[in-house]
Amino acid sequence: MPAITVDELTKRYGQTLALEDLSFEVEEGEVFGFLGPNGAGKSTTINVILDFARPTAGEVSVLGMDAQHNSREIRRRTGVLPEGVELYDRLTARQHLEFAIESKNAADDPEALLERVGLVDAIDRKAGGYSKGMAQRLMLAMALVGEPDLLILDEPSTGLDPNGAREMREIVREERDRGATVFFSSHIMEQVEAVCDRVGILRDGRMVAEDSVEGLRDSVEGGTTLRVSVDRIDDDALQAVRSLPDVSDAAVDGHEPPTVVVTVDGSKTAVLSALEDRGIEITDFETTEASLEDVFQSYTTDAETGVRAR
Amino acid sequence: MSTDTSTATGSTGASGSASSSINPESVRAVAKKDFQDAVRSWLFWGLSVFFFTILVVVTGALSYFGEDIAAQGATTDMLVVFVSQITKVIVPLIALVLGWKSIAGERESGSIKVLLSLPHSRKDVLLGKLLGRSAVLSLSLTVGFVLAAVVVAALLGAFDIVDYAGLLVMSIIYGVAYMSIAVALSSLTRSTTIAGAAMGGVFLMFYGVWNGLEGVFRLLGERDILFFDTVTYTVESGGRTFELTRPEDWAYFVLNLDPGQAYSNGLTLLTDVEALEQQSAVSAEMFGGELPIFLQDWFSFLILLFWVVVPLAIALYRFDRVDI
Repeated sequence: MPAITVDELTKRYGQTLALEDLSFEVEEGEVFGFLGPNGAGKSTTINVILDFARPTAGEVSVLGMDAQHNSREIRRRTGVLPEGVELYDRLTARQHLEFAIESKNAADDPEALLERVGLVDAIDRKAGGYSKGMAQRLMLAMALVGEPDLLILDEPSTGLDPNGAREMREIVREERDRGATVFFSSHIMEQVEAVCDRVGILRDGRMVAEDSVEGLRDSVEGGTTLRVSVDRIDDDALQAVRSLPDVSDAAVDGHEPPTVVVTVDGSKTAVLSALEDRGIEITDFETTEASLEDVFQSYTTDAETGVRAR
Repeated sequence: MSTDTSTATGSTGASGSASSSINPESVRAVAKKDFQDAVRSWLFWGLSVFFFTILVVVTGALSYFGEDIAAQGATTDMLVVFVSQITKVIVPLIALVLGWKSIAGERESGSIKVLLSLPHSRKDVLLGKLLGRSAVLSLSLTVGFVLAAVVVAALLGAFDIVDYAGLLVMSIIYGVAYMSIAVALSSLTRSTTIAGAAMGGVFLMFYGVWNGLEGVFRLLGERDILFFDTVTYTVESGGRTFELTRPEDWAYFVLNLDPGQAYSNGLTLLTDVEALEQQSAVSAEMFGGELPIFLQDWFSFLILLFWVVVPLAIALYRFDRVDI
């Protein structure tokens, strides 16, 4: 059973169409990266999942239950880190956690939770004096209360420094290993790629790509680019390289020294062997992989970056 | 991950499509948190000091100027009369200010998502907010009154605890009615600006419009404009009979819907302050010997209950159906 099923979800705010026929599934036990630029509809989707907003059309089920009818039961088993919200300025971290623990009938220890997110030093300080990163850590701790089956983290890296973001990803992995499903939204590919099993890319309220991280990387046209510096090159050798099964393109770029640029999907050594077999001496080579950032850019902007949709 | 999740599908009571349930424990948790939060605000301490000051100032004035009153042993009576006239205006103002941002503020800042991410229904949140804020108002009233009681007793000598407690209890009930209006209005909008305007509107309605209504009813009635009419009644005084006119019964019903009016009427029941009854604008003579039910003092509790229940009911219905 999927942890989240979104089926033909449409959400309209007045004249604005926030989501249009959005469908996707999040499998139980996976870390799902929900990626998209600001304004793509990520928060709207999360709002419907948590019943903060009601769908115009379509259905959403979470943990096998209807998102609207069984919202309380869903939220009992879900930990949420909402995006861009304020905490209660006059309450301490301990009081915030005690409230969450009491609300969920859980038996967690506030101190242990704050230890996990690295905020235990500020346990009795009022949240009004927290930095953005500290507030984010506290909200993550609140989301972890009661060992939820599903974690919904909306832009969890907001306000965190690189070290904090790394610790947050570490916690995401720990939670996944415990058996929880993690739904992780972000507008930055880099944060998603390091931790997510699968990624869905949202653009203008539609899912434009849904795949594993590797799958998305492979969707970049031609995969890896291999640049080989050689002492000389001839058409015969170039033809031999082009005829290799994994090579989609090969061209000569530059003459001093000549460089062969090969677009290859599979074995790079086959390319090098083919050249060497024809007595060509290889002085240097380098490979460049298409970054996921390129993939993300290609899906979310109109700019042509040489990526084909799969 | 557990595989027994599918059994939970049918187990939770899903009633209407957008109607949420009420869970007393959730209400309590929300109320407690809201109370904890609000009780730490300067507003709460300011209020307590404020109530304390009102009582002490009125008491001081009474003990200074009111030697005659003191001689009659009616000092607590006078205290109740004076203070109730102040609290009649102040308690609504304070309830509206305390309740103003209760929901709209959390929606504006997004912190309501912290509440609603936890397993609380929207109804739980509304009820919890009303309880929490009402508790803050009640506590500040109580703190102010109890502290002032010491001063009052010392300055006035005689001190009638029943009248004094009656004033406190009535003020709390009155405050809760206005708090319900405030929280309900606050839940209808996401903008604290609009909510603030609504608070101002409520205050103007009861302290501007409503106060002028009696004059308007009388004027329209005397001129037979629209459906307005007057009723003639007789009063005997010093062996002579006077013929007087008053607006119709329903007009008095409308006038008495004002929570402030209900507060004054309720006070005459909870305290045995005679001066309050003398102040009353209506008398049994006007209605041929006996007051209609809605003008009797106990009815004012129903009116205050009405102002607690009706705004809350509307808010409970509506808040369940909006996007946060």
